[in-house]
Amino acid sequence: MKIKLNGKWVLAEEGETILKVAERNKIHIPTLCYHPDLKPQGRCRVCLVEVHGKLVTSCDTKIKDKMEIITNTKRVADARKLNIELLCSNYSGEKELEFSVVAKELGIKKSIFEKTIKEIKSPMEKDNMKCLLCGRCVQVCGVVQKINNIEFAGRGVSSRITIPYDLSVKDTPCTFCGQCALYCPSNAIREKAYNKKAVKTMMEEMDKLINKKKFVIAQTAPAVRASLGEMFGMKPGTLVTGKMVTALRKIGFDKVFDTDFGADLTIMEEASEFIERMKSKKNLPLITSCCPAWIKFAEQTYPFLLKNISSCKSPHQMVGAIAKTYYAQKIGVKPEDLMVVSIMPCIAKKFEANRPELKTAGCNDVDVVLTTREIGRMIKTKNINFTKLKDEEFDEPLGISSGGGAIFGVTGGVMEAALRVAYEILTGKILQKLDFIQVRGLEGIKESDVKIGNQTIKVAVVHGLGNIREFIESGRWKNYHFIEMMACPGGCIGGGGQPRPTTNEIRRKRMEAIYRQDKSMELRMSNKNPAVQELYSEFLGKPLGKMSKKLLHTKYKKRKVKFT
Amino acid sequence: MQILRKSNWEGFEKTRKMKRIEIINVVKKSGLKGRSGSNFFTGLKWELMGKGTRYLICNADESEPGTFKDKFIMENNPSLLIEGIAIASYAMDIHSAIIYLRGEYFHLKPKLEKLIKQSEKHLKKIKLKIKIVLGAGSYLCGEETAILESIEGNRPLVRKKPPYPSQSGLYGKPTCINNVETLANIPLIILGNWDNNLQLFSLSGDLNEPGIYEIELGMPLKHIVSLGKPKNEPKAVYFGGSGGCIPYQKFKNLRVDNELISEKGGFLGARGLIIVGENRDIVDISRTLSEFFVHESCGYCTPCREGNFRVVELLEKIENNKAKKDDVKLLEQLAYHISDTSYCALGVASTTHLKCALKYFKKEFKV
Repeated sequence: MKIKLNGKWVLAEEGETILKVAERNKIHIPTLCYHPDLKPQGRCRVCLVEVHGKLVTSCDTKIKDKMEIITNTKRVADARKLNIELLCSNYSGEKELEFSVVAKELGIKKSIFEKTIKEIKSPMEKDNMKCLLCGRCVQVCGVVQKINNIEFAGRGVSSRITIPYDLSVKDTPCTFCGQCALYCPSNAIREKAYNKKAVKTMMEEMDKLINKKKFVIAQTAPAVRASLGEMFGMKPGTLVTGKMVTALRKIGFDKVFDTDFGADLTIMEEASEFIERMKSKKNLPLITSCCPAWIKFAEQTYPFLLKNISSCKSPHQMVGAIAKTYYAQKIGVKPEDLMVVSIMPCIAKKFEANRPELKTAGCNDVDVVLTTREIGRMIKTKNINFTKLKDEEFDEPLGISSGGGAIFGVTGGVMEAALRVAYEILTGKILQKLDFIQVRGLEGIKESDVKIGNQTIKVAVVHGLGNIREFIESGRWKNYHFIEMMACPGGCIGGGGQPRPTTNEIRRKRMEAIYRQDKSMELRMSNKNPAVQELYSEFLGKPLGKMSKKLLHTKYKKRKVKFT
Repeated sequence: MQILRKSNWEGFEKTRKMKRIEIINVVKKSGLKGRSGSNFFTGLKWELMGKGTRYLICNADESEPGTFKDKFIMENNPSLLIEGIAIASYAMDIHSAIIYLRGEYFHLKPKLEKLIKQSEKHLKKIKLKIKIVLGAGSYLCGEETAILESIEGNRPLVRKKPPYPSQSGLYGKPTCINNVETLANIPLIILGNWDNNLQLFSLSGDLNEPGIYEIELGMPLKHIVSLGKPKNEPKAVYFGGSGGCIPYQKFKNLRVDNELISEKGGFLGARGLIIVGENRDIVDISRTLSEFFVHESCGYCTPCREGNFRVVELLEKIENNKAKKDDVKLLEQLAYHISDTSYCALGVASTTHLKCALKYFKKEFKV
């Protein structure tokens, strides 16, 4: 047979591939999936050549008599190159690899495409070796939270718990609420760092940071102080605020701030947002945004509600944003040298802190999130005798807070704190009776008509994702002006990162502690917090002002998952 | 409708008195071409069959978006199909036929099985067994060689041709693969008084009366579209998911046949017309279609697997006003690259819609 190869007639035998004939004639064609010992596949589409105006792969195309083949046109070169570009977006080069050689030959250093693997870094892990197959996680995820993201697979001794269809986390509706971990009796499901080795590594990292003169700030969520004591054998419902601050200082944090401050700040913004929406009658009901698991749930399952959700960042993100701007300026530290560690009752906060939109001054608002369990273990690892510690106070200015901020830790708390402030703003009068008992307690869906001046405001408080699902899908959500949503039963005091065991009885005790704290405080209204007032007058201007919008507000977007 | 005529096995009985080659010649002479959109002469396909044990496969894996004519036949005149299979099998001396039924059409399986059982007295005469294999929902399995892999129990991938199935098909034996509509027409051809130009069109989209229409090939586009009673002024007409689109206003007088549509950059295919109303966003439709191809790509070759993924990414950027100037250029480059370098026909056709959209509706791809 005779074929024309790049304008020259050459001899070839029937059954030979274009690649073979070209190689024999010293014409180099780059290949990738082809291997001389194996059957050609034509998968990678790198060994393209042009035959009678068509691009074909040379490895698996057999020659025909009088075939005209061109291997060196621009069209060929561009097509080969683009296929390598498409292949190498996830690839970090190691020079000696076959692939690197081909990529280099075609002049590719870095793909024009972004990485395809947009894997969510899961803040949780599952260790089947430790799993007792007790089925608690399956029930809490399916029946209580109604997410149905954990199920049994396999039979007999091969039984195991899995994510449905073995999907990757990014495709599942897991909200990282962490209730599965909270109910796990054997630590088989847990936040990623919650094992001995990880805690030790984390401590070493911390020491390194402190040595490098990074300024490391801790902030603690309202619900942590009502539960941390349980990690050290104290009775549920013991408030350990002062001991917790002391312990964090002993671990080596430069400053210990209070997320309650961020909660007060959230109320300033969110109450203003509520009043604005009530006036314009737009996007009502307003729905709270403090709970990151609820936010992810809404983004994937009820995207039509996103416009109703408050644009406020959650309190600890607000503290992070303020720490990296206002506070960093104040103490003369660069934002990148300042590290914010949030101590949270929550696993979803770990996911939230990694959200790309939650950044300030080029850094994440919050760098690290630790759960109550993790910080408890760190304190133990440091051999600190927690129960014997003296009480210390939070640092100023981001450590000053009100009772309104404190009750954020329980279901109904955000609503109550907001109502206290909204009442004053709307009526101009001082609120006499501060307790809104009707939004308190462990009932799944609580509703109430609140009279403010001559207006009746219809509010609802829903906690537990299962209750939230029922509340939304029944259409009841449309009947209200203002709704508080929390993913975990009981709110943050029953959060996925809280000490084990957690039961409704224990939730109630923690709840009582939080309300005790609120009652005992002189300052119970978020808008009366002097540090918050100072922050607005010195730095932010007014709620929903330009600066507030930039630092304290965020956006949500629809999220695709394989089932909801 | 011609396709709803009953034959009651009269066509079959007629062929029993004919020689095999005579039947093939009648089909050849009729001018019947594959109604799946491939347009290969059916009689010629039958004639090219290799020797030895042979199979007939009825391709009922109708999964092109906006195409549902085969379902219409199987629901409304299935006995014509069974008779067509019998005649084709007899003409090619085949004793084993398989209906490869689309997974989503599972509800038709019991009905067809019952019908096959009722037809046994006819099938016995030519020692023909007809079996139904239910697909598992892959779009790719509409491709004739992927069907073969699927029936053999393998991961459904497209085989490299040659060898063609007529020489080496199912289990390496000569295999004829014909579409439902093609086979259903066979008894009618045998009986005579049959019009090759009367073909089934699936009309869907922004219409008040979507559905199946039997239309003479070559009618003006506006006539076809008006049958479906458009809800509003049509903006574009898509030919399934893989056949691309043409703008309606500009081409409403165009006669609809394979050559003329191909000239405009589209592909008439299996005649599934999706009418897109004036209020629709072409970029949104492009993304939806490309997402379909990302989902249905088997993942074998680079351009189809990775390229369509990037196409969706770029279209999302355009929709969210995040695209840069070069992004539309890259989109265009990818559209041509994917159809130029993909391994199989699915990959090649996966960007036809995008090439057409960029050709006729470029203004909507704003950066």
